[in-house]
Amino acid sequence: MPTWWAVMLVVMVFPGIYACRNRVFHALVLGLTMHIALLLVFLYAPTEQMQGMVQKIFYFHVAAALTMFGAFLLVCVASSMYLWKQAEWWDAIACSAAEIGVVFCTLVLITGPLWARPIWGTWWSWDPTLTLTLVLWLIYVAYLLLRLETSAPQRARFAAIVGIIGFVDVPLIRWSVEKWRTLHPKPVLVQAGGTTGLTSAMLLTFLVCLGAFVLLFFYLLRERVSLAQSQHALAVVRQEIDEHCAG
Amino acid sequence: MATPSNSCIARMSGSPRFLHQVLALLAKDLKTAWRTRAMFTAMFVFAVVVVVVFNFAIGADTELMRQVAAGVIWIALSFASVLGLQRSGQLDSEEDSLQGVLLALQDRSALFVAKMLAQLLYLLVVGGCTVPLCGLWFRLDLLACLGALCVALTLGLLGLSIVGTLFGMLAMQTRACEVMLPMLFLPVSIPVTIAAVQATTQVIDGKSLREVADYLVVLGVFDVVFFALALIVFDYIVEE
Repeated sequence: MPTWWAVMLVVMVFPGIYACRNRVFHALVLGLTMHIALLLVFLYAPTEQMQGMVQKIFYFHVAAALTMFGAFLLVCVASSMYLWKQAEWWDAIACSAAEIGVVFCTLVLITGPLWARPIWGTWWSWDPTLTLTLVLWLIYVAYLLLRLETSAPQRARFAAIVGIIGFVDVPLIRWSVEKWRTLHPKPVLVQAGGTTGLTSAMLLTFLVCLGAFVLLFFYLLRERVSLAQSQHALAVVRQEIDEHCAG
Repeated sequence: MATPSNSCIARMSGSPRFLHQVLALLAKDLKTAWRTRAMFTAMFVFAVVVVVVFNFAIGADTELMRQVAAGVIWIALSFASVLGLQRSGQLDSEEDSLQGVLLALQDRSALFVAKMLAQLLYLLVVGGCTVPLCGLWFRLDLLACLGALCVALTLGLLGLSIVGTLFGMLAMQTRACEVMLPMLFLPVSIPVTIAAVQATTQVIDGKSLREVADYLVVLGVFDVVFFALALIVFDYIVEE
């Protein structure tokens, strides 16, 4: 399955730039990758014969969808780690990944119908992949709402529980919805027998696009986690001041 | 901090004390529910209201009514389940009675199992009263498929009670319980809704249990996975 290996390689190698701690360097690499991705999508990649220009949204749609699944997997892993280790840092990761995951999920839900309207002739269909994405969006929006509606000692614990349950639910939702008629195109990225439905130019463009999305995700994640940690530090200082004044 | 109940399944199988605690807690809940009958009345009347309102939304087409009957039944039961969970949450938070129960318990998963069984019993009774009514109103021949219908109902309602009890206890401790409970419960229980509605529709159409086995397997797997998961995470919900 060479295509899967290529995808895994992109997902593993690109975030490697975060080994270097220089933030300007991160921003530069991210900006550069995004520009290269745009150039590749619109100038280099061949236009698909049947679908024409509309097919170009594939590079953004599928890359965002894969990143979204990665984000929700990270929420589940970080939530489990939080319940195990009780370290604030894991909660910051879970919360940040969930927020960014919801943003990417929204992007997927917007780009999907934009493509579906000219190709399928309808904005929306209740096919397994679309339904799963929509339900995931609902579950993780509920996760974010739960964080708003719970106060400090329980917030992280409750959110972690929902983070785990939400992800465990994914295969079950997919399985139950699959009983219905499927309209979503069969994956072109990796087809039966490990071959790919994309030309090599298209595959290269897609991989760079995926890399840009993964980098963007980790960039936002890093910023959001440091914000969450500052918020936590502020809350601790506030509490100390309150205790000091009261004492 | 309470110890995570990693070995709760081992404890459950080997300990008569655990079973004793579950039965005592279940008896307490059922006794309270029996004395006032408010829980049953609220859930049943609400389920009937939902069915009646849906009936107006569908219109007078008899064939259409038959097709959507199973969906209407399951939506009514899901909504009634949310209502019941909110009520039982209110009862538990009155005079900190839940704290008292928690202090007396060695293994807190006993509380989850008892609450879940109580919720399942309420739902089975409400379902047992609502489904025949729907049979009359939607002109379904339920007697012909009684056995298969009972299997589908029990498996589906078990899934709803497991997820519902877990989120009920969680939402009870948030600021906006009445918002959080349906927001968490309804999307997560979508596999149950889909599989149960499909199984019920086909059973009503005269298919045998073997023909709807696919959906029953989905329901069974959902029940087992979420029961195990709930036992593992429940300690973190009731932790002080």
